[in-house]
Amino acid sequence: MKASSFRYLVNQGFKGIWKNRMMTFASFCILLVSLLMVGLAVLVELNLTRIISGIEGKSEVMVVIKDGTDQAGIDRLEADLKAAGNINTVTFYSRDAAWKDITEDMTDEEKALFDYAEDDNPLPDVFKITVNDIEKMSETTAQIETFMNVESTKSPDKFTNFLISMRRILTIVGFAVIAALVVVSLIIISNTTRASVFSRRKEINIMKYVGATNSFIRIPFFVEGMIVGIFAAVGALFLTKFSYEGVYNVFNSDFSLWQVLGIHNLYKFSDLYLYVALAYIAAGALIGAIGTSISTGKHLKV
Amino acid sequence: MVEFKDVSVTYSSGVDALNKVNLKINDGDFAFVVGSSGAGKSTLIKLVLKEIDATSGTVLVNGFNLRKLRRRKIPKLRRTIGVVFQDFRLIPTMTVYENVAFVLRVIDAPSKYIRNRVPYVISLVGLSDKAKAYPTELSGGEQQRVALARALVNDPKLIIADEPTGNIDPALSYEIVELLKGINECGTTILMVTHEHDLVRHFGGRIININKGSIAFDEVVEGSNESK
Repeated sequence: MKASSFRYLVNQGFKGIWKNRMMTFASFCILLVSLLMVGLAVLVELNLTRIISGIEGKSEVMVVIKDGTDQAGIDRLEADLKAAGNINTVTFYSRDAAWKDITEDMTDEEKALFDYAEDDNPLPDVFKITVNDIEKMSETTAQIETFMNVESTKSPDKFTNFLISMRRILTIVGFAVIAALVVVSLIIISNTTRASVFSRRKEINIMKYVGATNSFIRIPFFVEGMIVGIFAAVGALFLTKFSYEGVYNVFNSDFSLWQVLGIHNLYKFSDLYLYVALAYIAAGALIGAIGTSISTGKHLKV
Repeated sequence: MVEFKDVSVTYSSGVDALNKVNLKINDGDFAFVVGSSGAGKSTLIKLVLKEIDATSGTVLVNGFNLRKLRRRKIPKLRRTIGVVFQDFRLIPTMTVYENVAFVLRVIDAPSKYIRNRVPYVISLVGLSDKAKAYPTELSGGEQQRVALARALVNDPKLIIADEPTGNIDPALSYEIVELLKGINECGTTILMVTHEHDLVRHFGGRIININKGSIAFDEVVEGSNESK
């Protein structure tokens, strides 16, 4: 095909948008809503996973050090802990610091009750550790219990199991919802492009009778679908930005409930902007172009 | 040149549309194909355009053996044929100029050739002043003339006119056939399907009558040339 012919076909694609503006507008709206639905669902899933991960990151395991362990033993244990797999942070929490923290908030009357313990601190030295993968927490604690100078470990098992279940449910439900939305969107988009192309089946038919090849007929439809897809992607991007930032501002406010629930730690849209834009434009252009191209194919068998 | 050798067509519904038809239309011929509804006229046209395949027999069109012609080569065959339909079949979103030029775009014709050829052909059918109009802005007769220009622009070896006068004023029908006759005089083969016996009697020439899927009559008849 000559370059001039290719230019002509691309040009026809652009012209087709205006000439068939009603059906184009319908395709644009459907594509925009579909991208928006799927995009927002993905962002919700991403943030929920992040929130759960944030809470997981705060789940600490207390490693109780055997009473009477000297500084060299404590240092060695710290080194062993840091060398063990799945460890994120290791913090030493001395018995004195623990005693100070406990008594700090006590009233004088309460402190008087613990006077006997002032010179004989009953609390043990501990290491507070956080893990990388909460699902391997029980394996990690079992490993730590074999280390020298470790008396015992205390991990929030029930809470950890709850978080693990939550994350699994969230992943499955999230993927199911996104998959369902993708399927529904594709069906709606396919019907819209089919209707759009169906309204022009006569045009395609005529082209076939005058000897146009399938690719010659497809290129303008392909270009048209791609442009509509890109415009829909840009529209969806702006709507996503506004709605996401609105929700972000609500959860990032000073309202302490969100802080307590850990919902304040959402992704900033500026961090996701490029990925969302690329995903929208790629999906919009591909679905628009390929969808229209496939729908056109059904009318080419003349 | 169009040649049918023992061509039969049976549709999947079981209807026998053509039955062992033998027919030869030489280069430069002008032939009317007549017959009642359901006689097999449309099937004959569909075969020539390779819209359908013969159940048996051989169809040769402009040097192509349609039995052996692969699907992707069909555009090549169709570029040697100009088609005029009863319902004009112009692309509604294109102007007269664009509709006619489209055929040349399809064959990758140089832009300069398109710029010269299209206005010339539009002038041949007397529509120079309507080149920028859209089909919906034209009368039936004018639309059929655009269809004729489109069929002609590629300088095809064969023009098939499928009831070209069926949707236009009877007075304009003669004008359309006159145009086709003029094109034929320049060497293009014309195959015109019609059920308007007055037209056929008026112009005369080769008349092929199809009845119940068979050629009932194929002879050259002299025209009356009486005024319409």
